[in-house]
Order: sequence, then C-alpha cells, then structure tokens
Amino acid sequence: MRSSRALPLPAILICLFVATGLSLVAVSVLPAEFRGAAIAALSLTKAMLVVLGFMRLQRESVALAGALIGYAALICLLAGARIALSGIS
Amino acid sequence: MNVALREGLDTTQPEAGSGIELLLWILIWSELAVFGALLGAFLLLGMLDPAALAAVRGELDLPLAGIATAILVSSGFFAARAASGWQPLGNLIAAALGGLIFCGLKIVAFTHELPALAAMEARLAELYMLIVGFHFAHVLFVAGLLLLVAWRPTPRHIAGVATIWHLIDLVWLLILPVVYLG
Repeated sequence: MRSSRALPLPAILICLFVATGLSLVAVSVLPAEFRGAAIAALSLTKAMLVVLGFMRLQRESVALAGALIGYAALICLLAGARIALSGIS
Repeated sequence: MNVALREGLDTTQPEAGSGIELLLWILIWSELAVFGALLGAFLLLGMLDPAALAAVRGELDLPLAGIATAILVSSGFFAARAASGWQPLGNLIAAALGGLIFCGLKIVAFTHELPALAAMEARLAELYMLIVGFHFAHVLFVAGLLLLVAWRPTPRHIAGVATIWHLIDLVWLLILPVVYLG
C-alpha cells in the first residue's frame, strides 16, 4: 500500500510537538475524567505519527503497522482508564 | 525502512536480508513485550495504591520530561530523514546527539528525583526507576549504534538502526502517559 501523499516529515514533527504540548496542558487544566480520555487520545496520536509518519511502516507491511498501533492503543487505553478512574473515587 | 532503501539492497542475497529483518522484528517485539509488562505492572500497582502513585508523581519533573520528549521526537525526525536517504551521515549524527541530550536531561532529572524516590521505599518508586532506567540504557546504547552506523553507513544498516530508534521513541511516548501524565 504505497501512498504518494505521505505527510512531509517536518509536518509530522510539528504535530508531535503540538500533541506533546497539549498533553502537558491537559495534565494541569482538565478534570480527571476528561484528562484520561484526552491523554489517551493524544498519546495514541503520537504513537501513530511515529509508526505511520516516521517509520512509514504501512508501505512495507500494513499488518506490522497495525500490530504496533494496536499495541500502543492498548497501553494508551489502560493509561487513560486509570487516570479517569482515579478522579471518580 | 522505506522503499527507496529497499531498492538499494543487495538483491543477490534476498534470503540473508529477510533473515536479518525477521531477527530485527523478533528483537523489537521482545522489547515491546518487556516494556509492556513493566508498564502494565506500573498501571496495576498505581490502581492498587493511589497514595503511593501520587507520592511518586509529586517527585517527578514533568516539564523536564516534556522537554526530553521534544528532543527525542526531534531525534526520531533526523533518523527518519536519514532512512529516507537525505544526508545520512549528518542526520544520523543529529539523531544520536538528540539521544545523548535526552540522556543528559534524564540525568539532571534523576539527580533530584532518585534520592527522594529511594527514600520512599515504595514498589512503585522502584518500578519507576526500573522502567525509566531501562529506557535510558536503550537510548544510550542505540545512540552509540547510530554513531557507529554513521561512521560507515549502508542503506540496510541505516534502515535497521532507524527502526530501532523509532521503537525507542514509541516506547517513551507510552511511558509518558503511564508514568508522568495524569
């Protein structure tokens, strides 16, 4: 699956910076319930940017790229759930 | 490992090439399994003992972790450029330097985090040191590998070391929400 419309590397780097900055802002600004979801989503976005943007693994193996993103999604989901649950008790 | 590099591979030895690639991915998934188990244990202990988690978090330097993240993803950018065939020598050295700066920032953070965490005698604090220390060792080792590959770059070596470097980026991006954020 080769894409001629791959995002340029500088754009991916800027997106990674923005996502990192937003994560740090979310820690200090958002209540726990929303913070968990926001941090999980931003972290997964960063992981996807590395796999699809920097590694461009989807060009070589969609299965490998999917497996790496699935792994990242699982950890982000668990981290987000733990953060969200810590605000409920 | 991009297409341009693959085209540059020696096509007379396809079996050896795919063997190395298989070993590379076995290594990568082994690393991911180890880090996954450590992060899972951290999440579980954090759920069981929220007070200890809050105490550990209170000692961590979040702004420095944010800066270290920016440095590490920047080094990933240079590794990606090298793997795409743009000035491999300069970009590999820049990626390695990013890794070494990341290590320097972590050492600065450790100087004030570790004494406080060691005094806690909590399992979460020990786990934190294990996870971040293990990742630190990876960054240091692979930064050395980047310099070694920069010394005598070949497309296959650049692609391999860049893949491992991106794995280290990825692991740090997963350590961040589990350990530092929230």
